[in-house]
Amino acid sequence: MFVEREIELRLVARLKAGDTAAFEAIYEAFRPRLFSFLARLSRRRDVAEDLLEETWLRLVTKAGDLTDDTRLGPWLFTVARNLFASWCRHRAVDEGRIFAFALSWPGALPRESPFESAARGETERRLESALARLPPRDREVLLLVAGEELSPAEAAAVLGLAPEAVRKRLQRARERLGREMHEEQDLLREEAG
Amino acid sequence: MSEMRLRVHDADPERVERIRARCVAVLERRRRAVGSQGSRAAAPRGWLEPAIAVGLCLLYLAEAVTRALAAYR
Repeated sequence: MFVEREIELRLVARLKAGDTAAFEAIYEAFRPRLFSFLARLSRRRDVAEDLLEETWLRLVTKAGDLTDDTRLGPWLFTVARNLFASWCRHRAVDEGRIFAFALSWPGALPRESPFESAARGETERRLESALARLPPRDREVLLLVAGEELSPAEAAAVLGLAPEAVRKRLQRARERLGREMHEEQDLLREEAG
Repeated sequence: MSEMRLRVHDADPERVERIRARCVAVLERRRRAVGSQGSRAAAPRGWLEPAIAVGLCLLYLAEAVTRALAAYR
């Protein structure tokens, strides 16, 4: 997925031995994708950076306990996802409710996420915007499978679900994403017309 | 969505460096700790010194008891 399996196995062995060069290689290979995943989940750059830091600290403090055949991608995404879930619980945040509340408040629509505003093309902007409007459960499965190209089995391990449940959730999330994108396109047409 | 690739972003460069430095420090601390534990275990002093001390104490006690018994006889 991110690094070849043989290289990954060697990196895990070296990391377990406390090799900082191995850490650097893993950090460079996974950091941007991990950050993008966390930022799209949380929709906040500061939160994503805090969770990113915590994820990497977990890796180095638990490096000695890693099994020889650890798959770094799923391991890191599992930790990141659990930290995000824990952050949500800690803040007692129900993102869905907050979003619904914000939508019902005139003029108080959530600001564009950094990803939406940075999106270059119109299609990319619509995709980011539609993705941001999905419930976190749908968003995370799409980000893992379609975004990070994890296999359904790997995504299932990250999400703590059965592969079949992941397939169903993925299908539902894809449908919702498609609907969101079409609705926005219709709105744009109406505005233009 | 798979046809439309999402762009990959990164954390603030300063934060990226700070995280790297913290993690490297943790790894180096752990490696030093493991190294010092290993060298202590490998060195004979780790178990030899207490063994000699205990042996000498036992000899001293045995000699003291022997002399005390000899004095009573």
